[in-house]
Amino acid sequence: MAPSVSSLKTKYIKLGYQYLVNHFITLLLIPLILSLSLHLLQQPSSSSSSSRLLTTLHTHLTPFQLLSLTLLISFLAALYYTSRPRAVYLVDYACFKPPLTCRVPFSTFMEHSRLIVHDQKSVEFQMRILERSGLGEETCLPPAIHYIPPNPTMEAAREEARFVIFSCLDNLFKRTGLKPKDVDILIVNCSLFSPTPSLSAMVINKYKMRSNIKSFNLSGMGCSAGLISVDLARDLLQARPNSNAVVISTEIITPNYYQGSERAMLLPNCLFRMGGAAIFLSNKAAYRRQAKYRLLHVVRTHRGSDDRAYKCVFEVEDKEGKSGISLSKDLMAIAGEALKSNITTLGPLVLPASEQLLFLFSLIGRKLINPKWKPYIPDFKQAFEHFCIHAGGRAVIDELQKNLQLSDEHVEASRMTLHRFGNTSSSSLWYELSYIEAKGRIRKGDRVWQIAFGSGFKCNSAVWKSLKSDKKPMEDSPWVDCIHRYPVHIPDIVRL
Amino acid sequence: MWLTSVSSQTYEANGIHSNDSDEKNEALIYGKRLSSVGPARVTGDLMYEPSNMDLAMKLHYLRVVYLFEVEAMEVLTMPRFKEAIFEWLCYYYESCGRLRREDTHGRPYIKCNDCGIRFVEVKSSKTLQEWLQLGDHSLQHRLLVPDHVVGPELAFSPLVFIQMTALKCGGLAVGLSWAHILGDAFSVAEFMNLCGQFLKGLEATYPANLNKSPPNNAHKPSKPSSTLGSGPLSLKQVSPVGDHWTFPTPCDMATFSFHVTATQLAQLSTKTGPFAALSAAVWRAIAKVRCGPEPNTITVVTRGVANGKAEDSLLRNNQVVSSVEAHFHVATAHIDDLAMLIHNEAQDERAQIEEVVGQNPGGSDFIIYGSNPTFVDIGGADFYGFEVKGMKPRLVNCFVDGIGGGGVVLVLPSPKSGDHEVDDNNGKIGDEGRIVTLILPKVYMEELKKELKEEWSLIA
Repeated sequence: MAPSVSSLKTKYIKLGYQYLVNHFITLLLIPLILSLSLHLLQQPSSSSSSSRLLTTLHTHLTPFQLLSLTLLISFLAALYYTSRPRAVYLVDYACFKPPLTCRVPFSTFMEHSRLIVHDQKSVEFQMRILERSGLGEETCLPPAIHYIPPNPTMEAAREEARFVIFSCLDNLFKRTGLKPKDVDILIVNCSLFSPTPSLSAMVINKYKMRSNIKSFNLSGMGCSAGLISVDLARDLLQARPNSNAVVISTEIITPNYYQGSERAMLLPNCLFRMGGAAIFLSNKAAYRRQAKYRLLHVVRTHRGSDDRAYKCVFEVEDKEGKSGISLSKDLMAIAGEALKSNITTLGPLVLPASEQLLFLFSLIGRKLINPKWKPYIPDFKQAFEHFCIHAGGRAVIDELQKNLQLSDEHVEASRMTLHRFGNTSSSSLWYELSYIEAKGRIRKGDRVWQIAFGSGFKCNSAVWKSLKSDKKPMEDSPWVDCIHRYPVHIPDIVRL
Repeated sequence: MWLTSVSSQTYEANGIHSNDSDEKNEALIYGKRLSSVGPARVTGDLMYEPSNMDLAMKLHYLRVVYLFEVEAMEVLTMPRFKEAIFEWLCYYYESCGRLRREDTHGRPYIKCNDCGIRFVEVKSSKTLQEWLQLGDHSLQHRLLVPDHVVGPELAFSPLVFIQMTALKCGGLAVGLSWAHILGDAFSVAEFMNLCGQFLKGLEATYPANLNKSPPNNAHKPSKPSSTLGSGPLSLKQVSPVGDHWTFPTPCDMATFSFHVTATQLAQLSTKTGPFAALSAAVWRAIAKVRCGPEPNTITVVTRGVANGKAEDSLLRNNQVVSSVEAHFHVATAHIDDLAMLIHNEAQDERAQIEEVVGQNPGGSDFIIYGSNPTFVDIGGADFYGFEVKGMKPRLVNCFVDGIGGGGVVLVLPSPKSGDHEVDDNNGKIGDEGRIVTLILPKVYMEELKKELKEEWSLIA
């Protein structure tokens, strides 16, 4: 449908307004500079006026005063320079590519369900969820879960952890040339599997890392733990100069596959899949050239003080004593509220002045003039070129697309990641970024917004700025053998 | 991973429990674990439509057991093995699908939804030698290969089961349970042989054939049959089984296998091939020992030809199903006469079978094996072509389930000469011996064995 004349007009007005406000300072300075230069040029002896200024200074200030002034200026400059936060670079990252032998087509999932879950209604419920889930036929579950009934021993869980984490790290070390001995900070986040010794200890043992490494293991923090780890890494990198940090985000499915019949607890089985990512962050100037992104902002929002939000993703035991994650029905509403909270904080940091002004006017108008005015939702497309929305489920992506008024192309990475890899929890953001890179869409200077939700209820955002245009397709990208098939059209309901 | 963890939990899925599952038999195998394996890549939205001939065979199941020597297990590591299987199944995605019924007539078809074949991992407390020396061959039949049937829920019933039994000595038994609707024994041999290729490290370079459904009514009657009016003798209609494709055999069956050397075959009959000679000998023996009327009609199943080169590697029920009628006293006939009768006078009933089945493909159910005593010639099937890391099987045995009271006699290839168990081939007939597997009513099995031993020295 061709845009109507009036909408075109609105579009141009909007563009003009944006340009005016965003470049306000520039637009103000240009006439000022012009007038100043004209004034100077009109002076009969312009060169002598500047030299006159210098001699005035020279005669009125003693050498001592001149020196102090110079020292003061350099001191202030140094103070300013050192008090600026260190830049945190994302040198590179690697995602886990599950082997095809772990593949779980819908039909296999349903058949196994039928054999394990004894309640017919629960089986039908799972089928309906799967049909509408937005997952594809290539998502993967760990080997222990392929058994009928599943065989979730601790050894199997450790085996999965080793497989996923070591595979990502080997890939990362190979890609970046980083040596395990050069890792100063190690952060592993895995929400539902927390053995003793920790997964970070497992990594240190395998790669023989240094004894003075700062290691952290975050568990229980849900799907947004990946960004929490990045935030922690950033804080540590601010405190320690010349350091390398490796963040590993994963979710170990083996011990958490719910084997009962409670419907609210069967939902995660349908969506969660095997996946992991390893990220190399550094504040070393030497990596500046190699780095792909720079971390601009991390905004964390916690809604735990609200009881409803706190309970909406809850690990419980069912009547038979089988434990699983129960998702409440108002999950989407809570996610929406958490999102609003997060963007209220994030907005002023990233939005251009034009959007902030509009939001301010709308706010003032609603408060003072007419409360019934629709709240102005800032156009985040002005702030970011790429969006990575945690692929928690189709509903989450739909909700965010609606709330933020994003186009299909903006949420394509999220939808396709959900289709190809399922909900890989904290690592899904990295699969999405990998998708955008594999499609060759990243240009230098592009800003990427990663947003994730998690139990608690948390909403965390990270903003990255691309430092290079990605031209070379990567052979070890998880998308390498299937990117040519994407994007695919995902029907609303897949008939099983 | 599957070798290290032992679970004593046995979980039957889509299986029928054998009648003689006493504790002694259960102890022979233990640690059963079930999973599914399927194609590595997405097949897509494909349907496989079985022909009328396929539907005629739907109540039958082929159970094939491959026994491998020591060292076979050592070369199989789980990740590599499963990788090979997943790649292999990309080429046989129809075996990984599930049955559905058409809306209009209820005709079964296979939806190729990558659901997979069931994979059973089991351990055995017996060595390979001990298994070979077991007197009761039905144990091989019951324990080394899953006894699955299709149904009661078609959509959740695998068509194929594979069982890997790790033997105590380090050997391996591979048991394949195959729904006959997919194809005949020759197809099974090709199916497994390709698996062996992938295990050896074959790389999948060509895409899988996307159009695999068999042509319908491919068989025209080769010669006019006198029984055209009365319908095929080899096909027997049974009461409707619905979606649970199991035919309870009307009487207790016993299983017995024995090896026949080339020399012994020569002694039987030189006029026809080994199959006709062996079938004649057993037919005569059955006629002698069976109480009641003589079995004048037998069903003979032999290898059919593929419809063109393209069809060669596809799963098909190409076997020729014929009836042989004797108009003379079988028990006292000369073996040569019987052998000639089998060889020359077999009436190909495939066209008639297809016509009868085609009349009500969704509703009627039939059996072929066992409707009369059935003699199956799979001596030409390349079962020994299934190699695990270059090692041929020590022994391959084949059984059939879902058969009628007439029983089934299978003539199988014997292990290739070079194996110490096979006698020297004196070259007269021109090929090696055969393995004969009898699945016959228990009531006269012992007498039959005695008869074969006394009359022909076939059984030691």
